Parts: sequence; structure tokens; C-alpha cells
Amino acid sequence: MKKIGGVSAELAAVDGRKRLNMDKVMTAVCFVLLMIIVVIPIVMIIYNAFFYEGKLEVGMFVEQLTEPNNLGAMWNTLKIAIFTTILGTIMGVFYAWLLGRSDIPAKGLMRALFNIPYMFPPFLGAMAWDMMFNGRSGYINKWLVNLFGLSSMPININSVGGIVFVEVSYYFPFVFMQVVSALERMDPTLEESARIAGAKQRQVIWKITLPLVKPAISAGALLILTTSLAHFGVPAILGYAKRIYTLPTRIYEVIYNSGGSFDGIRQGAAISVMLVVVVALALILQNRILSSGSYDIIKGKSMRPTLIKLRGAKIPLFLLAIFTLVMIVIVPLVMIVLISFLKAYGLPLEFKNFTFAQYEKVFSANGTIASIRNSLFVSITAGIICMFLGTLVAYVVQKIKPKGKGVLEVISMLPYAIPGTVLSIGVILAWSGRIAGINLYNTIWIILVAYLARYLSFSMKTSSAALLQVHSSLEEAARVCGASHTEGLADITLPLIRPAMVSGFFLIFLPAMREVTTSILLYGPYTRTLGVQIYSLRDAGMIPQAAALATVAIGIIIVLNTIVTKLTKDKKGV
Amino acid sequence: MANVRFDDITFRYGANTVLEHFSLEVESGKIVCLVGPSGCGKTTLVRALLGLIKPETGSITVGDRVLFDAKKRVNVPAEKRNIGIVFQDYAVWPHMTVLENVCYPLKKQRRPKEEIKQRAKRALEQVHMTEYANHLPNQLSGGQQQRVAIARALVVDSDVLVMDEPITNLDAKLREEMLLEIRMIQKRLNATILYITHDQQSALQLCDKMAIMEQDGTLCQYGTDEDIILHPANRFTFEFIGVSNFIPLKQDAGQLALDCGEMIPYPDAVPQEVQGGGYELGIRPNDIVFDGASPLRARVDSRVFLGSEYNYFLSIGKKQIRVQQSMLDARTKGVAEEGETVGVRFLNARFYPLKKGAETA
Repeated sequence: MKKIGGVSAELAAVDGRKRLNMDKVMTAVCFVLLMIIVVIPIVMIIYNAFFYEGKLEVGMFVEQLTEPNNLGAMWNTLKIAIFTTILGTIMGVFYAWLLGRSDIPAKGLMRALFNIPYMFPPFLGAMAWDMMFNGRSGYINKWLVNLFGLSSMPININSVGGIVFVEVSYYFPFVFMQVVSALERMDPTLEESARIAGAKQRQVIWKITLPLVKPAISAGALLILTTSLAHFGVPAILGYAKRIYTLPTRIYEVIYNSGGSFDGIRQGAAISVMLVVVVALALILQNRILSSGSYDIIKGKSMRPTLIKLRGAKIPLFLLAIFTLVMIVIVPLVMIVLISFLKAYGLPLEFKNFTFAQYEKVFSANGTIASIRNSLFVSITAGIICMFLGTLVAYVVQKIKPKGKGVLEVISMLPYAIPGTVLSIGVILAWSGRIAGINLYNTIWIILVAYLARYLSFSMKTSSAALLQVHSSLEEAARVCGASHTEGLADITLPLIRPAMVSGFFLIFLPAMREVTTSILLYGPYTRTLGVQIYSLRDAGMIPQAAALATVAIGIIIVLNTIVTKLTKDKKGV
Repeated sequence: MANVRFDDITFRYGANTVLEHFSLEVESGKIVCLVGPSGCGKTTLVRALLGLIKPETGSITVGDRVLFDAKKRVNVPAEKRNIGIVFQDYAVWPHMTVLENVCYPLKKQRRPKEEIKQRAKRALEQVHMTEYANHLPNQLSGGQQQRVAIARALVVDSDVLVMDEPITNLDAKLREEMLLEIRMIQKRLNATILYITHDQQSALQLCDKMAIMEQDGTLCQYGTDEDIILHPANRFTFEFIGVSNFIPLKQDAGQLALDCGEMIPYPDAVPQEVQGGGYELGIRPNDIVFDGASPLRARVDSRVFLGSEYNYFLSIGKKQIRVQQSMLDARTKGVAEEGETVGVRFLNARFYPLKKGAETA
């Protein structure tokens, strides 16, 4: 039998004419919303980078392009992103293999622990490492100097190398998680046949296992690359002291220095175009290097793969994994908590210097509670709206398949490749009174609009994947059983993708809660987010207070994550 | 119960024409099997009947109710057509229990609760799934899911019941049982059943009438199963239903001969037009009998006992043919041994013009 696509479109054609055509309405709504949320900000950036008061004016763009600071920032951005991607990928693959395929002890626990770096906000990690290894005042640096009588600080985290180190620590889980799940779903007979055919263990790993999980590696590496290129927090915290800029921090700097004037924002737009070009080039390069074939060998159901015996290397590798975890999770966490109890930053970490005063100060300042409230509000709202809108777009693309569905798909995925900083500038340009007199600048709504654009692709992806699993005959069967088009959607399709919609929500809500990159450019006096509040406290030199709020933030994230894991585990079947 | 009439249906997917001016009438209260190779447009026809796709031309009528008419611009929506369907991939809703699945069509008809309960129970009994009422589909085997789909189609009194390969995933015994069950259901409801399959064996077992579709989507024969077996309309039907041997016929030294790698004179009389060659002889394995007196000689390559018959492979010249010998024949005349040379006679041979390009074969 022929496979039949575009079923719902045909269903719609069948009961068309009489009623308002629901499919067409849904398609139109998708186009309009995506236009407002995604297309307009992007168009505004390009327009403002090259046009001034309605006339083509490339002078400013050329000026920005040839400005040595910007070129330096571009070079740094590339260096950091490339090294982070390479090192993060190696680390992710290595630990994925170690925890997925070897007989390392306490595997279940280790798996859970290795997901923590993913939850840990990287800019808080950067804060912690700065406290320890700051080139001038790092606590561990000072301790080492005293211990060995050194003449200068031994480690300087405020360097390109330091930034790479911190980013690798918190981005390697992108590769790790993808590869672990691919390894688990891989048909073990593929490896077993290679062994039977006479390959040695080492050859099996290099010739069979690694090539088969290449698509997963490639997907994870791409995620690291784009995230690192667009990342603001870590280079901002570690780089500013030594005037090491990346394009995102440079954009912030330019706008911040100009006091938010239109000229500053235009310059920011010009640098944004540079950043977008860099990201695009990186994506193309990545595509060339790791052009991934799609393999059918990875089965949906889980099978029990044969584990590789580590023998003598078992204990050393186990200790290495523990050491890694301690270094990237426990040590920074302890550092932040310790600093949050200090009377003043710089005092020795001794019990007599400890106090609860910082917490009192932070929470008596009215900005703090407001920032938590703001973050909760924007994250939840963005999560809910994206959950529905993403599902709508996914349904239109997957099931209705209208003309121009490719365009729809590309538009909705576009923000995925566009750095948060750039998106912020677009949103500022679009919604500060220039279009239809709508001025959202300095309100919480502008942050919400930016979050919608930034996170829409997340929920669209999960809903898309779920919809692909829902064979069109299920909805058709409902139609034939007497359900209208709407009833079929409500009774069959929506319940089947509900779990995916819920996980799409959390996929947005959790990162949005700790977000800085986008909101740092959008916040107004009363609309700081949690991330922005911590960043500004630290920027203002109130490091123990920043640490106190960071401790609270990490606490909130851990609690939320636990709830999510509990919730999603209870889902059965379907 | 009602008859189903497809009239002048044309359907295309883009440039690919699946059905062109297709007409078929399914008689009321009959089980009609629509048989054809994969991709011939059977499912497309069913989808048009269900209202899931819209043909370009023609009309579809069930009883005296017009469901679709391109000229009069009538197109009844799928949910109002009142046709029961068992989909090929079952389409059992995975988030509902077996019972919920079966109750769904009745709920959509807004029947009283008590009635829904009764009828769902009855439907589940018919497919022997009562004890699984509260299971979720992913706890069931493929065959069990298929039975849920059948129950769901049975639960409403549809004018027409369509089954798209409904029993392919059942084991042989259960398949037999389900075929009988379908037959009994049909008797009881006096329903019209349109049964889609590519498996001619179950079609023969079940149907009152058979419709044979060719690969290009044309209807090539419609009739009783006997009719189709005994009087196939063309080579396609002959070859598609049952096993058959084909041997090209050629003129050789003024005589009609079988082209078996070497020319072997054909001893029996043939119709006038076949005399000149360019035809092909088609014969079913059970129409070939051993006859020591026949001038047509063959060597026995192998013999397999199949329980109710013997299956032979014989070589005539360099051509291998298949022969079936019934138990009765074997008892009375004895069996042929491997390696033995025997005389064979073709009963009931058919002649079809040789396909182009097949002549060298």
C-alpha cells in the first residue's frame, strides 16, 4: 500500500466549505505569531545595522567591523568556542562510554551525578572559579602562594584558557547525555558480531561503536558550539577583569557604555551581525566536518548491551570520574556557599568571619524578592506559551503540511542558531516604540517576548518528535468512529502527546529560570531576573551577597529539578 | 445492510494516478474480497469510501445514500458516513484501555450508558477479548490489538464494514477462527463486508464474491471465487490467484512446440489462433497428471509430501514445472520417484499472448 501523507489536510478538504476551516486557521495563526515573535526582531537587526533613517548607510557597519576591539572579540569568541567544543566533546564521549558501556562501579548513582553539571548555571560556576583562582585575589591562589612561598599567583582563571575550562566543565553534558542514550539504544549484536568476526575490543570501539554513535556526538557537539559562541555569563565574569571580550560581552559593553542610547543599540546590532555570521560559518564548518549519516541501527527499545571489563583500570577510572565531579560540582558549590557566609569578601575563610548577615541583606533588599518573582513569572509564562505554540507549529508542520511548511519549520528553528544576545537586540529594536507604537522596553513583557523567540524551538522539537510517533491512522480511526476533526484532536492526538508537551514545558522553564544572556540586555529598573540580580550584585562588588543569592538560586533549581524528575517518572506507558 | 457503489472514481497523488475511472459495485449483505498486489490502490479506494481522501471524479453510494459525488459537490464528512473500519495497522488508541477503545464509537453516538456497556461487552466476547477489557494496548500482542480493532468496528451497526488486511498478524489457528467469526458476524448482522487483502488464500476461504485489481489500479475481474479460479478473465488473474506454470509456445519445423530450452513438440490440440505460436501456455500444478501413454516426457527432480497432496518439481527439457498430485490420484496410480522419467498430460491448459520481452526467456 502507498503511504499517505498530509492526511489531515485531506480531512479538512473533506469537511471544508461549510465550516470555518480549522486547519487553515491554525496554519495562519502559526505564520502570524512566528512573524511577530521571530521574524520581526531579526529583520530589525539587519535593517538597523545597514540602514539609518531609511537610507542605506554601511559606514557604521564597516567602522564596527574594522574596530580592533571587535575583531579581537571575534577572534576570542572563535578560539573559546572551538576549544570548548573539541574538549567538551572528548570529555562527553569519554564519560558517556565509561558510564554507558564499562563495568564501572555505582553506575546508577554516577549517571545521576553526571547530570548535575547540566543543571548548574555556568555563570555561577564561573563566579566560583573566579573566587578560587582569580589572578589577583583568588582564595586558592593566595593559599598556594603562602604555602609554597611563590612570588606570583600560580593560576590565572581570568584568561581565555580559564574561560574554556569553565565552559567545558558545564557544557560537556550536552555530548554526554546524547551519547549515553545512543549507546543504550544501540543494538548490542552489532558489536557482538564484530567480536565474532575477529575484531579486538579496542578495534570494536574505534571501528564499530564510535562510528555508530557519531550522529549523537555530532548533535551534542553542535549544541556546545552554538551555546558557547552565544554565551555571555562565563566570559563576562571571567573576562572583564582582564579586558578579554567575546562578541556577546562586547555587545553588552557597547550598549552599556552608551547608556542604552539608540546609537549604542545600532552599534550592538552591527556587532550582532558579525556574531550571526560567525555562528553561521561555524554551523557550516561543523556540517562539513561531521556530516552525519543517519543510521537505522539504533533501536527505539532498550536492550542490555554487553559491558566492557575495565579490569585493572577500574578503580583509577572510577576515582577519575569522582574527581571530575568533585571539581566541577562540589568544589564550586562549596566555594559559593562558603563565600555567602563571609562578612566581607577577601577575609580569610575562618569560622570567626562567618555570618548570616549577607542573606539578611540580600532578602531585605526589595530587588531580590522581585527578581525571583520576575524570573518565576517569565519562565512559567514563556514555558506555557511555548508549550502550546510549539505544539501548534509542530502539528501544522507534521500533520497539516501546508504549502510553505518548510519556511515555517526554518523560522521556528532559527532562534536556536541565533545567540540570545543578538535576539535581545532585535527585540529591543522591534518593541521599543518603532513598530505600531508598541513600547515594551523596560517592562517584563520585552523579556517574555525574547524568551518566547529563544525557547520556542525547544518545545517545537519535543512535540514534533511526539507527533511523529502518533500515526495518522489513529486520528482517522476516531473520525470514522464518529468524531469530528476537533474531537479527534482533543480525544486522540492531544492526550497522546501530552507527556511530550509537559516535558517541553520544563525544558524551557528550567533554563529560563537561571537565564542571564538574554535578560542582561533587556532588564529595566523593576524587571531584573534572578540571573541579572546575581550578576549585578557581583558587578557592584557585593560578592558575598551575590554568593548568597546564588546559593538560593541553586537551591531553587535543585528543588525544581527534583520535582520534574519525580513528575516525569510517574508517567507510564504511552 | 446496504450495497456500496463506486462509480467512475479517479484519484491522483500529484502526478501519480492511483485510480482512473474505477467502478465497482459491492452487493448488499455479501462478503466481497478486494484482492490485488501491494500498491494497486486497494487502500486508496477504501480511504475514499471512508471519506479520508477526496477523489477527483465519480461518486460513492452506500444503499441509497450518496456519500460522495464530484459533480453534485456532495461530500459527507468521515464521521457521518457510518462505516466500520479495521485498519491495517489496527489504529488502536494507545492511551485508552481495550474497553475504552471499544466504547468510543458508541460514546460519539451519544448512546445511553447501559447500552454502551452491553454492546461493548458483546463485541469483546465476539473477539474473545473479554478478559483483557482493562488492559492498555501496549500490554497486548499484535494479534490481540487487531482483535480490539475488529471489536471496535463491530460495536456499532454500520451499513458497511471495511476490513483492511485485518488478520495478517494472527497465527494460523486464530486466523481460521477469526475468518469463521467474521463469517458468523456477517450472517448475524447481515452486514455488507468489504474485505481487503493480498492473501488470496483467506480471500477464497471467506468471500462470496471476489474483485481482482491489477497493479495499475484497474478492476480486472469481479465474480464468485469459483468463477475466478475456473474462468480467469486474463493472464493476470490466472497468475495472481493460485500457483501457475508458464511455457512459451513456438512454431518449430512446421509444428507447434513448447520452448523449454529445447523444442518439444506439443501433442494436444490448440485453438486456431494459437497455432502460429507467439503464445504462452499457462497451467496449474493440479491440472497436470501423470500418464505413461503421453508422448510428453518429463524427469522428476524432487517430490515433497504436503499432507493432503504431493508436490513435484519436474523438468521438461530445461524448464522446471510444478505439479501437484492429489492423495486420491497417488493412491490409485502410485507416486513417481525422484530421477524417474514420466509421461505427463496437460489438462485444462490456457493460452495467453506472449508478453513482449518474455520471448527469450
